[in-house]
Amino acid sequence: MPEIVERVTVFCFAASYVLALAMEVWHLLAPRPIQRYLALGFGGAGLLAHSIYVLVQPLQLTAPFGALVFLAWILAVFYFYGSIHHGRLAWGVFVLPLVLGLIGLAEALADGPGDNQDFLATLLSPRGERFWGALHGALLLLAGVGISVGFVASVMYLVQVYRLRAKLPPGQGMRLWSLERIEEMNRRAVLWAFPLLTAGLIVGIALQIQNGVSMSDWNSPKIVSTIGLWLVFAILLYLRYGVHARGRQVAILTLVAFAVLLLALASPVHPSHGGGP
Amino acid sequence: MMLLVVGCNFKNTPVEVRERLAFTGPRLAQALDELSARYGCEAVILSTCNRVEIYLARNEALVAPDAELIAEFLLEFHGIRQEEARPEWYHHSGLASVIHLFRVVASLDSLVIGEGQIAGQVKQAYETAQERAAVGPTLHALFQHARIVAKRARTETGISRGHVSVSSLAVDYVRQVFDHFGDKTVLVIGAGKMGELTLRHLKDLQPRQILVANRSPEKAAEVAGGCGGRAVAWDQLDDALAQADIVLSTTGAPEPIVTRRRWNDVLARRSGGTVVILDIAVPRDFDPRIHDGDRTCLFNIDDLKKIREQTLQERGKHVAAAEAIVAQEQRRFLAKWTQRQHVPIIAKLTRDFEARRQIIVQQLFRRLNGKLGDEDRSYIEGAFRLLQNQFLHGPISALAEEAPEENRHTLRDALRKLFRLEE
Repeated sequence: MPEIVERVTVFCFAASYVLALAMEVWHLLAPRPIQRYLALGFGGAGLLAHSIYVLVQPLQLTAPFGALVFLAWILAVFYFYGSIHHGRLAWGVFVLPLVLGLIGLAEALADGPGDNQDFLATLLSPRGERFWGALHGALLLLAGVGISVGFVASVMYLVQVYRLRAKLPPGQGMRLWSLERIEEMNRRAVLWAFPLLTAGLIVGIALQIQNGVSMSDWNSPKIVSTIGLWLVFAILLYLRYGVHARGRQVAILTLVAFAVLLLALASPVHPSHGGGP
Repeated sequence: MMLLVVGCNFKNTPVEVRERLAFTGPRLAQALDELSARYGCEAVILSTCNRVEIYLARNEALVAPDAELIAEFLLEFHGIRQEEARPEWYHHSGLASVIHLFRVVASLDSLVIGEGQIAGQVKQAYETAQERAAVGPTLHALFQHARIVAKRARTETGISRGHVSVSSLAVDYVRQVFDHFGDKTVLVIGAGKMGELTLRHLKDLQPRQILVANRSPEKAAEVAGGCGGRAVAWDQLDDALAQADIVLSTTGAPEPIVTRRRWNDVLARRSGGTVVILDIAVPRDFDPRIHDGDRTCLFNIDDLKKIREQTLQERGKHVAAAEAIVAQEQRRFLAKWTQRQHVPIIAKLTRDFEARRQIIVQQLFRRLNGKLGDEDRSYIEGAFRLLQNQFLHGPISALAEEAPEENRHTLRDALRKLFRLEE
């Protein structure tokens, strides 16, 4: 493997994302096509470095650092895809701070414990309990992607509501999707995340029972916050489909769900906890 | 640069005079043909509701077209006597006409600064002139460059940002809330004339259905027939409100017809999402306190007018940037134009030297007949060619570096005289 590839650090892609965000903000203040291209260039460079890092470094997805860096990578892909397909929208202004926030949190929790299994390798060669542990982790991580996308949509929604409430002139300032489209994006993200979260939890519970862990192990912050996340989602879905709540209420509850997700990701792993973030 | 623009616009000529001077369809083609034939020049006619302008260009060797004559032509062509109407003509020549066109196309000279139609109208005027073969190299280069100016002003400044008509602004707000309209219901309350244009814009969105409520069932049926909608009884207004996504209200009611309490009752019955209410009635039909920007977005005529003013103010902030683009592009155009003007003189200079070189070389070969091998002949030819190139390099480079100045080609004239290129 070339030496340069192994030299890629968190700083490389984080700095690229910071520059991309700076270009996006500059574009917002004084729109010119060049800033858009520069933002895409820096964002693309950051994503490349991030991808190399994820592939080359043995990320421990059970540890907060690995899980957060991996989640940030998926959202960086989401950012890059969105920036190309929705070039006229202020996409990066919403997604990049989230990506950077996750990377920052990962750095802050870099010394957290985790097991030393190679997550991807375990998932790709299904054998016994370790496979189920990896599957449990993958499901929860993908649910995390859905929740993060829901978070971005909710922030966009609240900004758009603020603009409408203040009756700001349309066509000026940042370009956003319509309320209807943002709400649809949030709805899809929640519908994507909930089954994955539920399946991940079921696999996790089954693993805990199979391992015969004691009652006190169920009190681990990671397990409690993940169950809390599931409950928030259940309320979210009830509000949406049970009492047909719309708009701001749903957006705010999605923000709460994201906060609980961060708590779950940042929580240390209990020694009895097998695989998964 | 023998360029001239003669015209009148909204600033100093009343609409009734502009109407009489306007060119449409076959008359425009006829005028272009006559201008080309009568004055022997390239011509483009820009005729919009706010201005009538004729752009003319002539080969440099001839005299510039006369502005007075063109103004007379305009009146004569439209059969207007001098004493009948007195348009306030303006005219610009040379570089001033380039700047004028660039300001027009960047919509800096428009009634509403930043309006988007003028660039298309200028393009259309140029294309029509091109179809009539009235455009030559000068106006072709000028109008092609004008397109660059229009694009730069639109994309690099905020001069065209946002809409400024009340009906377009209303639809802009609707678009900020909704993404697709095939499943939306539009409710029209009342039959005020003010709402006609807005209703037309809303109809263009192709909503699922349009409901019309009016105190007079006949009037409701009439409006519904006109917009392809369905009339609903006035006493079923709350039901209609409960199922509507977009409400356009234009009644002449002296007091609000939907109070806050009534709206709360309607909201309790609604199962849909956000509703956008465009209350363009005076006095207002909806209590303004119902607006929350989430479930209910209410915009009344004052809001829309205020936003129109804000948009215009915001556009005003970008005028200086657009003017800077005009100035920059005018310099670029002039530089390019100057370069193009040098092409014939450079070609002539090169041709002239080439011919002289060949004569001298042939004379030399005849004199040294039999004494030179092929290699020697080739060497001598190469040496003379090198001498020619080195000799011409100075004047040609100096021409290329000459600072473009309108109608002043000192170096070019000097070269013509020095090398007797006219003869």
